[in-house]
Amino acid sequence: MEERFLSRNFDIPNAHTLAVFEKHGGYQALKRAVTMDGDSIINEVKKSNLRGRGGAGFPCGIKWSFLPKESDVPKYLVINADEGEPGTFKDRYLMELDPHRHIEGCIIAAWALGIRYGYIFVRGEMQHAIRRLEAAVKEAYAKGYLGKNILGKGFDFDLYVHPGGGAYICGEETGLIEGLEGKSGQPRMKPPFPAVVGLFQAPTIVNNVETISAIPFIIEHGGEWFAAMGVEKNGGPKLYGVSGPIKRPGVYEARSGITVRELLEEYGGGMLDGHELKAFIPGGSSCAVLTPDKLDAVMGFETMREAGSSLGTGCVTFMDTNTCMVRVAARLAAFYHHESCGQCTPCREGTGWATKVLDAIEAGRGRPEDLDLLLDMCSNIEGNTICALGDSIAIPVRSYIQVFRSEFDAHIKQGCCPYPAWTKKRLRSSVAA
Amino acid sequence: MPKVTVNGTEIEVDKGTTILRAAAEAGFEVPHFCYHPALSIPANCRMCLVEVEGAWKLQPACYSQVTDGMVINTKSERVVKAQKAVLEFILVNHPVDCPICDQAGECKLQDYYVAYDSQESRLRAEKVHKVKVFPIGPEVLYDGERCILCTRCVRFCEEITATNELTIVQRGDRAEIRAFPGRELDNKYSVCTADICPVGALTARDFRFKCRVWLLNSTDSVCTGCSNGCNIHLEHFRNEIQRYRPRFNPAVNDYWMCDAGRLTYKEVHTDRLLHPTNNGAELNWHAVCETVADKLKRAIDEVGSDKIALVLSPQASCEDLHLARKFASDVIKTSRFYMGGKRDGDSDDFLIKADKNPNRRGIEAVFGSTTAALPFSQLVDDIEAGTVQVVYMMDQYMPVDAATAARFVERLDKLKLFVFQAQHQGALAQKAHIALPVCSHAESEGTFVNFEGIAQGFERAFAAHGESLPHWQIFMRLAQAMGKPFSYTFIQQIRKEMFAPRPDSVASGTAEGVPVE
Ligand SMILES: Cc1cc2nc3c(=O)[nH]c(=O)nc-3n(C[C@H](O)[C@H](O)[C@H](O)COP(=O)(O)O)c2cc1C
Ligand code: SF4
Ligand code: SF4
Ligand code: FES
Repeated sequence: MEERFLSRNFDIPNAHTLAVFEKHGGYQALKRAVTMDGDSIINEVKKSNLRGRGGAGFPCGIKWSFLPKESDVPKYLVINADEGEPGTFKDRYLMELDPHRHIEGCIIAAWALGIRYGYIFVRGEMQHAIRRLEAAVKEAYAKGYLGKNILGKGFDFDLYVHPGGGAYICGEETGLIEGLEGKSGQPRMKPPFPAVVGLFQAPTIVNNVETISAIPFIIEHGGEWFAAMGVEKNGGPKLYGVSGPIKRPGVYEARSGITVRELLEEYGGGMLDGHELKAFIPGGSSCAVLTPDKLDAVMGFETMREAGSSLGTGCVTFMDTNTCMVRVAARLAAFYHHESCGQCTPCREGTGWATKVLDAIEAGRGRPEDLDLLLDMCSNIEGNTICALGDSIAIPVRSYIQVFRSEFDAHIKQGCCPYPAWTKKRLRSSVAA
Repeated sequence: MPKVTVNGTEIEVDKGTTILRAAAEAGFEVPHFCYHPALSIPANCRMCLVEVEGAWKLQPACYSQVTDGMVINTKSERVVKAQKAVLEFILVNHPVDCPICDQAGECKLQDYYVAYDSQESRLRAEKVHKVKVFPIGPEVLYDGERCILCTRCVRFCEEITATNELTIVQRGDRAEIRAFPGRELDNKYSVCTADICPVGALTARDFRFKCRVWLLNSTDSVCTGCSNGCNIHLEHFRNEIQRYRPRFNPAVNDYWMCDAGRLTYKEVHTDRLLHPTNNGAELNWHAVCETVADKLKRAIDEVGSDKIALVLSPQASCEDLHLARKFASDVIKTSRFYMGGKRDGDSDDFLIKADKNPNRRGIEAVFGSTTAALPFSQLVDDIEAGTVQVVYMMDQYMPVDAATAARFVERLDKLKLFVFQAQHQGALAQKAHIALPVCSHAESEGTFVNFEGIAQGFERAFAAHGESLPHWQIFMRLAQAMGKPFSYTFIQQIRKEMFAPRPDSVASGTAEGVPVE
C-alpha cells in the first residue's frame, strides 16, 4: 500500500478532535497558506491537476479562477456534501473521521479566493457526519481558525454546517444552492454558472468534500507533487469506494489513475469465492455499465470516457454473474424517477415512463419493441434537460440495454426473470439505494 | 447589433435578444409552453429546443441569447425529433380529456400536438393520477392531471401580483400546483392564471362548461369595470357575452385584467330595459321621440331651458357624450349638467382604479373642462329648491350614498318631466315619465378615455338587446323630432368632430417587436 494522505487519520483514534488532529500536523497547511497570496494558491491548485471529486471532474484550479476577484457582495464557498449517488460513500468518511482536514481546506479556499462565508451542505441522513462537522466547526471557532481575524491576518471567514432535506437532486450544485436558499431543490439554468451568480445571487464556488479535503496536501507538498501522484490531467491521491460481492468492500486511498483491476484485486481483495465478475460501474449509478474486458481501464476522467463510461465519483460497484441486469436497470431507473425534481419535461416524465417499461420487462410483461422504445426514450432525454439528472438515467439505461441486450430479450421471450429470486434480494442490499 | 441567421434568413437583432424572439422577428414560430413574455424564464418545458451551429446540445430558445454570427435552425431533424419527444413526454401522463376540457380549441398542447407531433401514443402503462376539479381559489379550479408544470401560474403570483399564493408541491411526476398551506389563489387577478395556463389545468369557474371556445366570436373591446380601461377580447355566442379575456396593450393593461372587471359583462345581460315607454306604456321609437320632443318643448316654454338638467354618464362613450352636449346646447339650450356614474370603489396600485366609470376623462375631453358638470348631490338639493324641474338622465347610476340616492328617487315626484335613458330597469325606470332603452358597449361602438387620458376604441359585438339604441342615436332622433336635426350618418363623423385624441391613443395591440404569447 502507498502512503496515505486523505485517509491518513482514518485509523487514528479521535482524529476528529482538534487536539488529536493538530498533534498529527493539522492546520499546518493553513498556517503556510496564509503566508501565500491567493493567486499563488490558485496556481498551485491549477498545477496539481486536482479534478472535482463530485463526479463531473472539472479542474478545481480553473473553476477557482472563474470566481471574480472583486465583488460588491460577499462571495460564498459551498461544500457539496450531499453524497447521494448510489454506490458512492467516500465523502462521508472524510466528514466523520477527519472533519478538521476538511475545515482546514475550506479556510484555505476562502483565504485564497477572498470568500467571506462558507456552507457545508450535508445530506440530511448523514447524522453522524453532521454531528462531527458541527463539533469540529465549534472547536475551530474556539481556536480562532474560524471567525474574525483568522491567524491575525485580518481575514474573516464564517463556516456553517447545513443539513439537507434529503433530496438527491440537492447534490446537483445549483439544486443545492436553491436548497441552501430555503427553496425546493430545483436546479437552475446555466449559464450563469455559480462562480458568477450563485448562492444569494453572489459569486459562489461549489466543491465536493473530497476536492476541498485535498487542498491542505497541495499546500503542504505543492501542486507538482500532487500532480505527480496521478496520470495525465488527473492528479493526486483520491478515495475510491469498492462494493459488490467482493472480499473487502470499503473505501481505499490510492493515487489517481490506477486501473479498475488494481482496485478490485489489490484493494477489494477480488471477487468473493464462487462469484464471477459480470459487470461493473466505475463511479456511481449514473455511469454506463462496463464488462470485465474493461478491467484494465485507467481510473481517470478521459480514460474512462474512452472505455465507454465515466469516472464519476470513483466509487466502483462490482456485479457478479448472478445479477439480473434488467433488475439493475429497473432499480436505478426507479431511483432517478424518485429523485427527479420534476422541473423539466423529459426528465420528469421520461424517468417515470422508463421505470414503468423496465418494471414491465423485469416482471415478464415486456414486448420486443419496448427495447427500442427505451433506447429512443434515452436519446430523447439525454442532453435535453436543465441538469444532468436526465442524462443520469439515459446513459446507464442505454448501456444496460446495449451491453446486456440478450438478458432483456430473455425476459421478454420467457415472460419472466430468468434469475432465481434470491439474487434479487442480495442485489437490493448491495446495489440499490 | 448581433447578426444572426435563422433557418437561412439573416437578421439583425438587439443585443440580449433571445433566440425565440429573434426567430419570431425572422418570421419563425418556436413552440413554447413555459415562456411567457411578461414572466421570468425558467426554461423548464423544453418545447422550444432549437439547434445552434457549434453547440452539441439543443438550446432552449426562450432562454438562450443570441450572439453575433449565430446560426440557428428551428426546423432541423434533431429539433423536430426533440419537439416530438417533449410532446410525447408531456402526453405520457396527460389525461387527453379534450372532449370535456374547456381549454380544447385554445390549448397549446392540442395545437402543438397537431402541428409538431401527431404520432400515436407509445404508452401502455397506467398514467399517474392527480387531483381533479380542485378549487385552488374561489374563481379558479385546478386539474393536476392536465397540468404540465410550466409554472406560469406560480410565476404570475410571484412576479405580477406579488401575492405568492402558489407553489409546486411534491417532486418529479408526482408534482402538482397548490396554494401554500392556509392560503388560496384569491388575489384580485386570479383568473389571469387560467388565461396564461397553456392547457386546461386552470379553468375559470365562471366560464367552465359554458361554451366551446371555437363557437365564440371575439370582438375587441374595453372593460367598463373601472377607469383603467383594460383592453379585452369580448367573447360572445348568440348575442350573449360568454367571457372577457384580457387583450394585450402595453400602455394600459399588458396581458392582464382584474377578476371583478372580468365579471362585469354580466350587467349586459341582466335587467335590461328593452323598449321605450311612456308612463309605463310601450311605444315605438318614432312615437316616443315625438312624445319626448313635445314634452321637452312644453317644458322649455313653461319653466325655461335653464331649469332643465342633463345628468351626464361617465359610463357612456365619448360619441354619446358629444351628442349629449350638442343636444343640450343646440336643442334644449341648457348648460345645466350634473355628473352621474358609479360611486368610487376599491383600488390598488396595479390596474384597479377607484373610479368605477370607464369614461370620466371622456367627459372632460368632450366638454373641454373638468368642471362642466355639477355634483350629483347638488341635483337633489336643486330639485328640492325648484331650480331644476326637468331631469334628463343618462344611465341609472347615482354617485351618492344610499340615503341621498333614496332622497333623489323620492324627489323625482316633484319634477315636471323625468326622462330616463339607460340600460337597466330599476327604481328610476319605474319613476320615469319616459324610459328610453340604451344598449351596452357590447352592442355599440365608441371611444372611452381612460384615467390616464388614453382614448381607446371599442367595437360592436352583436345586435342590440330589444329595441335599445346607443345614447348618441337617441339624441339624433330627438334632435330630429324637435326640428333641429344633426347631420351625421356615421359615428366616424362624430368622432372627427368631437376632439383630437392624444397621439398615443387608440393604443391597442403590439408592443415593440413581435408579440409572442
Ligand atoms: C443529479 C446530480 C447529482 C449530483 N450529486 C452530487 C453529490 O452528491 N455530491 C457532489 O459532490 N457532487 C454532486 N454532483 C455534481 C455537482 O453538480 C458538482 O459538479 C460538484 O459538486 C462540483 O464539485 P467538484 O468540482 O469539486 O466535483 C451531482 C450532479 C448531478 C447532476
Ligand atoms: S433534469 Fe430532472 S432533476 Fe434536472 S432539472 Fe430537469 S427535472 Fe429536475
Ligand atoms: S396549472 Fe397551468 S400554468 Fe400552472 S403550472 Fe400547470 S400548466 Fe402551467
Ligand atoms: S423551455 Fe423554452 S419555452 Fe419552455
